[in-house]
Amino acid sequence: MGEVGLWLRWTWRDLSARWVQVAAIALIIALGSGVYAGMSSSAVWRRANYDASYAALQVHDVRVSLAEDTYVDAGTLRAAAGAVEHPELLAAVEERLIVGTQVDASTAEEQILVPGRIVGVDATGGGPMIDRLHVRAGRGLDGADGATAVLDDHFAEHYELPPTGTVAISGGTEVAYAGLGFTPEYFMIASDQGSFLAEAGFAVLFTSIEDAQELTGHAGEVNDLVVTLAEDADAAEAARELEVALTAALPDAALSVTSIDDDRLYRMMYDDIEGDQRLFNIFAVLIMAGAAFAAFNLTGRIVEAQRREIGIGMSLGVPRWRLAVRPLLVGVEIALVGVLLGIGVGLVVGRVLSAVSEEFIPLPIWDAPFLPMVFARGILLGLVLTVVATIYPVWRAVRVDPIDAIRTGPAAAHQSRLVQLVGRLPLPGTSVWQLPVRNVARSPRRTALTALGIAAAIATLVAVIGMVDSFLATVDRGEREILGDTPDRIDVRLDFFYLEGSEQVAAISAIDGVAAADTTLAVGGRLGSGDDAFDVYLGVMDLDSAVWHPTIDEGVVEADEPSIVISQKAAEDLGADAGEVVPFRYPVREGVGYRFVDGEVRVAGIHPNPYRFLAYLDRSHAGMLGLEGIINVVSVVPERGADTDALVRALFEQPGVASVEPVDAAAQRIRDLIGEMVDYLNVVRGAVLLLALLIAFNSSSISADERARDHATMFAFGLPTRAVLAVSVAESFLVGVLGTAIGVTSGLVLLRWLITVLLPGTMPELTIDVEVTTATLATAGILGIVAVSLAPLLTLRKLRHMDISSTLRVVE
Amino acid sequence: MALIELTGVARRYDTAAGIVTALEGIDLRVDAGELVVVLGPSGCGKTTLLNLIGALDTPSEGTATVGGRELTASTRQDLFAYRRSTVSFVFQTFNLFPSLTALENVRFGADVAGRHDAPAIAREVLERVGLGQRLHHFPHQLSGGEQQRVAIARALATGNPILLADEPTGELDFHTGVQILALLQAQAIAGRAVVVVTHNREIARAADRVVELSGGQLLSDGPPEGGRVEASSLRW
Repeated sequence: MGEVGLWLRWTWRDLSARWVQVAAIALIIALGSGVYAGMSSSAVWRRANYDASYAALQVHDVRVSLAEDTYVDAGTLRAAAGAVEHPELLAAVEERLIVGTQVDASTAEEQILVPGRIVGVDATGGGPMIDRLHVRAGRGLDGADGATAVLDDHFAEHYELPPTGTVAISGGTEVAYAGLGFTPEYFMIASDQGSFLAEAGFAVLFTSIEDAQELTGHAGEVNDLVVTLAEDADAAEAARELEVALTAALPDAALSVTSIDDDRLYRMMYDDIEGDQRLFNIFAVLIMAGAAFAAFNLTGRIVEAQRREIGIGMSLGVPRWRLAVRPLLVGVEIALVGVLLGIGVGLVVGRVLSAVSEEFIPLPIWDAPFLPMVFARGILLGLVLTVVATIYPVWRAVRVDPIDAIRTGPAAAHQSRLVQLVGRLPLPGTSVWQLPVRNVARSPRRTALTALGIAAAIATLVAVIGMVDSFLATVDRGEREILGDTPDRIDVRLDFFYLEGSEQVAAISAIDGVAAADTTLAVGGRLGSGDDAFDVYLGVMDLDSAVWHPTIDEGVVEADEPSIVISQKAAEDLGADAGEVVPFRYPVREGVGYRFVDGEVRVAGIHPNPYRFLAYLDRSHAGMLGLEGIINVVSVVPERGADTDALVRALFEQPGVASVEPVDAAAQRIRDLIGEMVDYLNVVRGAVLLLALLIAFNSSSISADERARDHATMFAFGLPTRAVLAVSVAESFLVGVLGTAIGVTSGLVLLRWLITVLLPGTMPELTIDVEVTTATLATAGILGIVAVSLAPLLTLRKLRHMDISSTLRVVE
Repeated sequence: MALIELTGVARRYDTAAGIVTALEGIDLRVDAGELVVVLGPSGCGKTTLLNLIGALDTPSEGTATVGGRELTASTRQDLFAYRRSTVSFVFQTFNLFPSLTALENVRFGADVAGRHDAPAIAREVLERVGLGQRLHHFPHQLSGGEQQRVAIARALATGNPILLADEPTGELDFHTGVQILALLQAQAIAGRAVVVVTHNREIARAADRVVELSGGQLLSDGPPEGGRVEASSLRW
């Protein structure tokens, strides 16, 4: 016990003698292990929160949707569902009426005119009981104050709308809303065009089914059914039975039956967890690696400082393993302090990520609980890495002969031939200005460790900010393509399919302020086969239109055969070039609706838009779909100088118009999406910045200690403090340049890997350009070179108060 | 005219245990061309005296005029300039820059003193101390005696008129120590004021004057007993 006490007291003195560096390294370890624990736990609590939120709001298990503009009498769907082969599979069913509309939520300051949707639900008895409404402000659908709706909270929050108010829908009907909220299908907002986080451009109004029928002119009609299943019921089997029953009951209606697992948003939310976690794990490991390098660096230097004492121990016959106890104990103690602090850092990182996630997807249940096992893993990793980082220098120290360990001064230093060669390279300037280069070249191991620590932080930073740059560059590319030569174009989506020469289309073209107009038929489709197939949004249009047409980078549209223009990403995923034939599932008109047909289509060309889901077919081939002359979108080019707001409003007031949206609004929505993602990345960026600064400070502080005798000698020979400091700054500058060069290079490699290998699985819809802006490189440079170079300024006080005489007389 | 002139110099330190007097009432004068050995046991104030002359420390009382400059009235910047132009140090533990070669270490002395053609001066001085064949060796490749000769060469390369040596033979064997003392004697003969601090009484025999300290006070100041001898005849 006495000996243990001695070890502990001794190591405590070792630590307190270098407490600033010990605190810094403990913080570095805390940051490494804490960020690791906080980030690697996010998947666990996100999944738990999603599960709990979906369960709390009784999300449906199966949904039946009628095709667009298909409605049946209320009660029909419910009755048909009751006729399934095994009714005991179904726990509850509710009919709904879901109708697209335009929502005008304009305020005195801003015109807010967006496409949207009225979702009529069974509000009786506090309902809906399936896909329940989560009210975040105001009240739900159970009030008696005349208000008929609850407005989607995402949309309201985006535009900072009050919890109660009035909006107008298509036809100018005013709808009072009494609260803000959402149902599980709207945990995240997707527009009809498929873009996510679309709350800026898409508004949902939840009403009772009766109010929805009245507001939309579909009295007594429904078009949607949601079903919850009995416990242990097989969802696939239930869906199959429902499809059979409903098809039998409604032979003329096109409908789709999907389980919740097939829901695009539901799936994406969960898939997103895995993708984000993979990304977080990479960043966490990188930060941990930076911390490990820094730990290795410091503990190595502490051991080096004990070299002479180890030598004395050797000469007294103390076994090597006992000599190793003290420095190892120092490493363990630093690691322990670090990982204990790391728990706090991990909790903070978890809270911040949780807050960002909640901002991103405001679920009814959001909690980032302390997960002991995940944190234990982070702690263990932090401990192991730090102890391993200590073992090597200790092993090196106790392996030397006692005479070498005891020897004082530079005689103890060994240099490789390469180092000696580098050290002898002729350099310009006085010997004072040669010192930094000689110092850096003379200690390659120390230089490399410090540079690698900085490099790990810089690499993470370049990768993180580079991802943001790359996303933004991708958005820019998409925006350039979508805007084309008519950036002020407005897309008018009609509420149904119309003939190209219909009066609705003519009326839109004739509005004052419209310079030109062209039409498009927008329908869904699916490219590819099996698990690799993906949805596309097919625009059937004049591919030579003067209003807008996609750029065709590769291939030529042939007039004699139906062929589509797809994105580069789609071509890559399909493994097809222009001219090749690919599997294509497309809609074919059937009565008043359409059915999907599995067939093939030739790829006419490749367009440069980064979004995979965008595909185009020349209108001369619309016969392939049985939809010749049918359109549902009108693209309008305003006259030069026309008031866009007034034109949007005039278009909105036209009969048959479902939505009016300037084309740049879509790009803005994607920018908003990127903005949300940047919030996540900012958590990483903050941690990395702090880590790099701590490494820089620690490195300078250690160097200042190690160079104390050199500095004292310079003072004794009359060099002023500023010159001594300048030498330190120059040395740090060189290490900073080296670390930054390695870091930027590694960061670019990492970024390329993240984008070309990791992200395609996480974000299959996008071709992301690898792009790093000058600003990002400047940030890396400022941090890695400027901050590291200036870190020695923190030692100014130490230099000014140096006891020169004592420092000069110290025997190592 | 005296190069070094201390009058009534005292140095006291305010410590947790109270005021500690390192030096008290010191009057000392050293002329150019003199080799003065400051002798005394550990803790008697020898190094403090050297530090005051070298302006690494300032007196609590009295005046110190070195090279015509009143140190007690000088600013911090003046003292830096003074160290560059007036004094140069040789340390017991050499304090060479480990990352510089012997030539570069010596050149450092010439560089900081602002001497033109520093590389040529460094080469010439190293030749003079017998290290012409070791110019490009790093300190760790040199023996203790060679390192101390490099340290002396560095001090000489400054061209400053006062050389301050703190236990310059403390780390060296007898034979090497004698070589170093011979070098220092030669510097005094060449016209420099050389102050050597040591606890080794034998070394004092090579001095022009011996100043003995005890308990921070000057016990004696005069030529060595039996007169000055050549360094080569010393034995310890």
